[in-house]
Amino acid sequence: MRLRTLLVRQWRNRPGRALAAAASVAVAVGAVVATWAAADASRAGYRRLTETIAGVPSLDITARDGGRFDAMLVPRVVDVPGVRAVVPLFYRPTLLRIGDNRLREMAVGVDAAALAAAGLLALEAGEPCREDDEVVLDATLAKGLGVGVGDEVLFFARRRIARMRITGLATGDSLRWFAEGATVVVDIQALEAMSLSTAQVDRIRIALAGDADRSQVMAAVAGRLPPRLVADVPVGRASMADDVLHSANLGLDFVTALTLAMAWFIVGNAMLMNVAERRRGLSLVRLLGATGRQVRRFVTLEAALLGGVGATVGAVVGLAAAGPISAGISRALQTPATGVAVHPLLVPMAIVMGVGLAVAAAWWPAWEATSLDLLEGLASAPPAAPPATTRKLLVAGGLLTLVAAISEALMYVEVWPPRASVVSGIALLLAFVTVTPFLIVPLVRFLGRFIPDRWRVEGRLAIDQIVRQPIRTALTAGVLVVAVSNGIGLGHAIRDSVEDVLAWYGRMLKADWVLTQAGALSVSREERSADSRRLETLVRGLDGVADVEGIGVATGRVAGTVCVVIARDMPDDRPLPLEPVGMSPDEVRAALARGEAVAGTVLAQRAGVKAGDEVTVEVFGRATPVKIAALVVDYTSGGASLQLRRDAARRIFGMEAADVLLVTAQPGRAAGLREPLEANAREYSMLLRSFSELRRGIDVIVNGVVSSLWSILGLGFVVGSLGVANTVTMSVLEKKRSLGLLRAIGMRRGQVVRMVVLESIMLGIASGIIGLVAGLTTALFIQLASQPLLGHPLKFHVRLDIIAVNLLAAVVVTALAAWLPARRAVRLDLLESISAE
Amino acid sequence: MSILRTEALEKTFSGAGAEAAVAAVRGVDLAVEGGEFVAVTGSSGSGKSTLLHMLGGITRPTAGRVLLEGIDLAMLDDDALAAVRRRRIGFVFQRYNLLPELSLLENVALPLVLDGVGHARSDAAAREALEAVDMAHRAGHRPDELSGGEQQRGAVARALVTGPAIVLADEPTGALDSTNSARVVELLQRLVTERRQTVILVTHDPAVAAAAARVVRMCDGRIESDSTSGATAR
Ligand SMILES: Nc1ncnc2c1ncn2[C@@H]1O[C@H](COP(=O)(O)OP(=O)(O)OP(=O)(O)O)[C@@H](O)[C@H]1O
Ligand SMILES: [Mg+2]
Repeated sequence: MRLRTLLVRQWRNRPGRALAAAASVAVAVGAVVATWAAADASRAGYRRLTETIAGVPSLDITARDGGRFDAMLVPRVVDVPGVRAVVPLFYRPTLLRIGDNRLREMAVGVDAAALAAAGLLALEAGEPCREDDEVVLDATLAKGLGVGVGDEVLFFARRRIARMRITGLATGDSLRWFAEGATVVVDIQALEAMSLSTAQVDRIRIALAGDADRSQVMAAVAGRLPPRLVADVPVGRASMADDVLHSANLGLDFVTALTLAMAWFIVGNAMLMNVAERRRGLSLVRLLGATGRQVRRFVTLEAALLGGVGATVGAVVGLAAAGPISAGISRALQTPATGVAVHPLLVPMAIVMGVGLAVAAAWWPAWEATSLDLLEGLASAPPAAPPATTRKLLVAGGLLTLVAAISEALMYVEVWPPRASVVSGIALLLAFVTVTPFLIVPLVRFLGRFIPDRWRVEGRLAIDQIVRQPIRTALTAGVLVVAVSNGIGLGHAIRDSVEDVLAWYGRMLKADWVLTQAGALSVSREERSADSRRLETLVRGLDGVADVEGIGVATGRVAGTVCVVIARDMPDDRPLPLEPVGMSPDEVRAALARGEAVAGTVLAQRAGVKAGDEVTVEVFGRATPVKIAALVVDYTSGGASLQLRRDAARRIFGMEAADVLLVTAQPGRAAGLREPLEANAREYSMLLRSFSELRRGIDVIVNGVVSSLWSILGLGFVVGSLGVANTVTMSVLEKKRSLGLLRAIGMRRGQVVRMVVLESIMLGIASGIIGLVAGLTTALFIQLASQPLLGHPLKFHVRLDIIAVNLLAAVVVTALAAWLPARRAVRLDLLESISAE
Repeated sequence: MSILRTEALEKTFSGAGAEAAVAAVRGVDLAVEGGEFVAVTGSSGSGKSTLLHMLGGITRPTAGRVLLEGIDLAMLDDDALAAVRRRRIGFVFQRYNLLPELSLLENVALPLVLDGVGHARSDAAAREALEAVDMAHRAGHRPDELSGGEQQRGAVARALVTGPAIVLADEPTGALDSTNSARVVELLQRLVTERRQTVILVTHDPAVAAAAARVVRMCDGRIESDSTSGATAR
């Protein structure tokens, strides 16, 4: 008889075992494919989300001291990696006559054709303007005025009255990206010519590729600029969305990596059981004259076959699942579903990986089985783990912890990028898994005390089973530990960062209405200051307004590092809109009143500034020494901000204008303010948004991101559950004979089932506890990782609901996974089960 | 009253698909008194094991009754039957009697543990049973570390530990050499004489059967002869 015949016989004899081994590979490969596709969908969704909410991720090149600058000053930056398009912008407030209406609108000069070609200008109708006498209007404005493509517009420029034709209507969303507040798009050269300012631009907006790292591109672009120009995140744009998505992307990397780790465990476990269970049979084959190599080849061949079948099924299932999952994620992110775009190599790679994993996982137990003493191999009990394994595991655990600590430290001091936290997180998790075998037995024994007296017998036997099968126990526990710590760790991290962002947002923006400066910075500073003062006075005087807080924003440098300088009224009768680190709000308030400033934690880190330092701050070309009173948590421009009181900023830098006005209404009168505020906003080229509108935008991002992460996390849990179910099922099947013997000597069916379920649940709880510790540690690691990303440590909360849900799920999954096969095992005829081999 | 009695006991294995049904046991009437040592012999496939399984409540008869201490096993539900197996019957199989994961002592204590007897008492009883089979010195060893004969003596100890009404042994010496075989048989014999333990033993081996006072011979699922030698008979 050839070995291959034996293989087929064994499969036929024990179809459950072969099936379970193949199923483990299917679960692993399916998980990888589905998770990968889901992560891809999430990333694409995040990208589209950022584009719809905050526009295409971008940078601005502006003059250091404000005002226009010569476009010729700007060197080539299109070739900087991560740059998608370079868009010079020229703003011009203009008077228009459209039909019988006379309007004051903001016109923006761009290369419209190029923008449209780059997908950055979306038209509802018509085509982009190309000639001097062509214009594109905001679609909403055009509708309001009852005009459309082909109609005429009179344009009152400085020099002449131009008669222009409407060639297209632009969607508000796409206009908002490059020209907030502008409603009229004209060819840049035409607008410049009309304004007598050739080759002058207000700013150059750089659109970034979706996957570009903004700070890297910013550094690269800044390096090429002449001293007069600075590169920065567009002023007033919530880069917070960006930060949320950055963390979310990190989370995605993490989940993907964890799912891979889990898949590895599931396959390893199943293959180990599949081979270990047949140790006796394999020894018999050796006894009959097969060499160790033959047997290993036989086992490897089997693993490859099972792996191949399983991987193919898994890839199909994973692809099938990927569609609905991606669609669900797109829905959660409120972005259009674009279908699953699976990388063409993903499926073949996943299959190769599945087969490779299966072979690798089978090789070790095969090697063990064939290097075993023949007699020992023929014995009916598996040998106890040799002490060498114990030592190896401990060493591995120590090494992994070291790797985790080192990579975390390198990341903390910013030698490594934040993505390195994925490495340290996984290393840490594996370290926990390696110590699981040592922790699980005492934990299970401890748990045994809580088994009710009625079930003492079953409990004792269950504990015996766990204790006597250290390798199997450890592997099953490993899958569970990964699954639970995944859920707990990421659950905590997600909730913590979301709460952090929302808390900041709540502090930062306490108002009913928010007026923001539209794109134009072109007018001279004096002009703007005067305008701003007038608007502020007007708004303050509106009936129903309780309070107005002005915020001025400028680009500056602190000790040479580019930052956003924020000047804010911060009146004494309102809560301080800052969260100082290591100083009381009252002290900070006093310091601000003295004319000192506070620095965002990220800025402090970048510029090497500490609280108490006196630093040179450059704004509008004026360099002044300013004392940094404290550091604050801030997400504006990714935390690279310097904040001070508006009166101080006026005195020190001449910052007068308010770019943002926060308007608080008298109780119950918020709604009535819309109309008067809207009128004023239009007059002064400001955008009016209600707090709830702003908040809705944020909520869409936050909720979308959170649900996408949860769904991937859920996917991970399903995978973990399937893996655990598979392992437990195999382990029950394998014990058929023992269970039969127990029944023969008088154990009741119910007792047998209870024993198996108890064994499984105890393993579930014990692994859950280890997973809990691992998960909380992971969460801490992720939080530490967010320090360089966010510039401040996230507050760490222990969240009992997340813990409870995870532990409960672990118990339910293990109980069910044991209950079903155990019931089947005891339904068997007793005679049949005791004669089972 | 007989400790164990069967009435027109039958067992037919229904053949799957094309295979014909097998009538393994066809109408066996047997009565066993307390303290009897009965050997069941017969050629291979004559239905010895099947009979023993029915006697012990491991499998249910197709027809007929098994009365153990006057109780009809057919009247019991699965749980009650399990309780009877646990308390009133001791089993010894040919091989793989012991759970490989447990030590000898734990294996022997198992029926008591299953019955909810406390740790201390079950261990003490198990140790006593091991002493009775002369295996107390190996109590902490796992089955794999014991010889076949030692394992079988351990299995006998486990069968005894609850003080059962009857010990059923299916070729307990089938896997042993003659020396070890003799030791196990001698052990069973001693149980009968010293403790008045009822024992039914299935065997091929005439030497083993000779140790029993009563020999039941089976052929084609029927009792061919039932002879009492009187040596140890009452
Ligand atoms: N589960 C079963 N399904 C079908 N037939 C069976 C089954 N168990 C036993 N038999 C058949 O019943 C008959 C009696 O079997 P049994 O095991 O009782 O014989 P035995 O006398 O114990 O033989 P041996 O001395 O070889 O152990 C045999 O023909 C056997 O093939
Ligand atoms: Mg037999």
